[in-house]
Amino acid sequence: MAKAWRWFHQLGSPKYLFQKTGQWLPWIWGATLILLAVGLYYSLWASPLEARQGQGHTVRIMYIHVPAAALSMVGYIAMAIAAIVGLVWKMKMAFAVVRSIAPAGAAMTFLALFTGSVWGKPTWGTWWEWDARMTSELLLLFLYLGFIALHASFSDRSKADKASAILAIVGVINIPIIYFSVKWWNTLHQGYSVTQKGALAPEFQVPLFTMLAGMYLLFAALVIMRLRAEIILRNQKSRWVMEWATADAKKVTHD
Amino acid sequence: MPSLSSMSQSQDIQFDGLYAHELTVSRSENVLLEDAELHLAPATITYLYGENGTGKTSLMRCLTGLLQPDDGKIYWNKKPINHPESGYFQDLIFLAHSLSMKNELTIAENLTFYAQLRCGGSYNNKELQADISQVLTDLGIGGLEGRMFAELSAGQQHKVALARLMLEPAKIWILDEPFVNLDQKTRGWLAAKTLEFKAQGGVVLFTSHHHIDELPVDQKVGVEHE
Amino acid sequence: MISTLLKRELKVARRNWIGLAIPLLFFIIVVSLFPFAVSPEAPMLQKLAPGVIWVAALLSMLLSLEQFYRSDFQDGSLEQLLLMSSPTSVAISKIFAHWLLTGLPLVILSPLLGLLMQINYGFEHINHTWVLMLSLMLGTPTLCLLGAVGMSLTLAANRNGLLVSILIIPLYVPVLIFGASTVTASLESLRYNGELAILGAFLMIAIVFAPFASGRALKISVG
Repeated sequence: MAKAWRWFHQLGSPKYLFQKTGQWLPWIWGATLILLAVGLYYSLWASPLEARQGQGHTVRIMYIHVPAAALSMVGYIAMAIAAIVGLVWKMKMAFAVVRSIAPAGAAMTFLALFTGSVWGKPTWGTWWEWDARMTSELLLLFLYLGFIALHASFSDRSKADKASAILAIVGVINIPIIYFSVKWWNTLHQGYSVTQKGALAPEFQVPLFTMLAGMYLLFAALVIMRLRAEIILRNQKSRWVMEWATADAKKVTHD
Repeated sequence: MPSLSSMSQSQDIQFDGLYAHELTVSRSENVLLEDAELHLAPATITYLYGENGTGKTSLMRCLTGLLQPDDGKIYWNKKPINHPESGYFQDLIFLAHSLSMKNELTIAENLTFYAQLRCGGSYNNKELQADISQVLTDLGIGGLEGRMFAELSAGQQHKVALARLMLEPAKIWILDEPFVNLDQKTRGWLAAKTLEFKAQGGVVLFTSHHHIDELPVDQKVGVEHE
Repeated sequence: MISTLLKRELKVARRNWIGLAIPLLFFIIVVSLFPFAVSPEAPMLQKLAPGVIWVAALLSMLLSLEQFYRSDFQDGSLEQLLLMSSPTSVAISKIFAHWLLTGLPLVILSPLLGLLMQINYGFEHINHTWVLMLSLMLGTPTLCLLGAVGMSLTLAANRNGLLVSILIIPLYVPVLIFGASTVTASLESLRYNGELAILGAFLMIAIVFAPFASGRALKISVG
């Protein structure tokens, strides 16, 4: 426990975090590329087509759509957790993490909406259907964009961090409420659902889980890259950043 | 909110009055103060000076608890200011640059509101209204109680803000530029009242661009750029 | 303490009544546009009524948010309030006063809009006006509470007029869904207790979290 605490405190140090993430990043990128290559091969070529509903090749969209949708939710929850850490323990690096997740989360939400729409055209015959999940994703995208807009509207970074952290927490309390409301509203109007009930056949499972793992890692890699940029931005005046900027980047990482 | 530092509070603070310990304050990545110590003892007047933009106001706002310091603790009579038993916010009057008065209320209504907010129902309303009339007369704006705040001249508005010092019981005054744009007579009045407050054991911290001849100070604190 | 704050709010508002009247006027004018844009036929208007009135109420509440903490923030009285009382109680009294001055008038005006939108057309014995009022009565305080959070977050931001709308409209959606569907259910002669109960539940959740969140945000904005 004491060890975990110490580690937690060390992570609060920008320099330590920057060095550690610098060490992790190549490994994460490597694993991401391998998993995505394998996953995409399976999902785009080697997996069977779904026979029912005559969906044909469109089922392959699922392998992108499902991970993107999952990450859009997970990303927001992670933002809220980091926001709580930042506000309660006054840990500045946590705010940098919150800010770094936002663009990647928004991108995943957009990707989920886009693939959902492309999938919807052959399935429903329309680009947009007010389906419960799609509508929730749309509102989630608004929450992400609101967060980014709020953070960008302050000249004082520490105020921006704290105010948008509160917004992230308020948002995460609202996500289940929004989801429940939209679902209820949708059944009222006899909507459709993209995802069919029932267990996924095993031949779909392998590519889906590979893609899920790959996309999670991709998300982590994007967040970490953004986080490193944030750390440099926020510590411009520190000596180690000056040294890092002038000297060879590698040297600092292996200090 | 859980506080990790609650254990370190057990160290004994020997100082009465306001005591800031290892205070670090920054504004938008600029460190204004680092590990600063400041002690404002009872019955003293402290003059805080420094160029514009050096963080005088930030330091003041930190001492009022409005601005969170990056590091360090502030004690009021040996208790952290946020500790419920310190009673700091009951004892403090902070007059900021902005006058904090509503344009839509009359002078008497504005002053009554703050007095009631501080004292609750304990202030008899009749007494309070009489006190308000008295203070306004002393300040040379007697008879204007019923006027809307917005209708006053800038100088008169400033005097209304100062009137709060006489109407609300306190033990510490933190005043941001209280002497700026005051006429000779009101400067004299404010200096006299400040000395009176000091004689009763009050703590005073004020900023000013110029030295105030009327007001002998016990302590001068400078904030400077590195 | 809260009553002192509340009295002051009401006094300031009384002398500044035009600022509060404008969002109400907006509420009426927006609703009266629909017959021109869609059709003056009663059955058509009746079908649109719940949605139109609820959206107009929501927009009107958004407009009146500018009156919320802004002037107190600008003239410095907000920091004095925060020095002298707890952030949560400042938020509670401001929110309550704000609802009395903006939400309650909407509830009181809504029968007029029901009339314009032919809400009782074709019904002899059932009066839907009460359902409309009840849904707004339970829904508008939640809108106020959420609006307070949004407003206190954006006080110190550089651009805030539209920013606050972007932040809180997604949070308004659940209230809008259940508010409008309460009235729709009544128009379809269905039971609407469930919808009302959910509106009440939203209100309870908002009462628990929003004043605290708004108070924290006020501290940040002032600091």
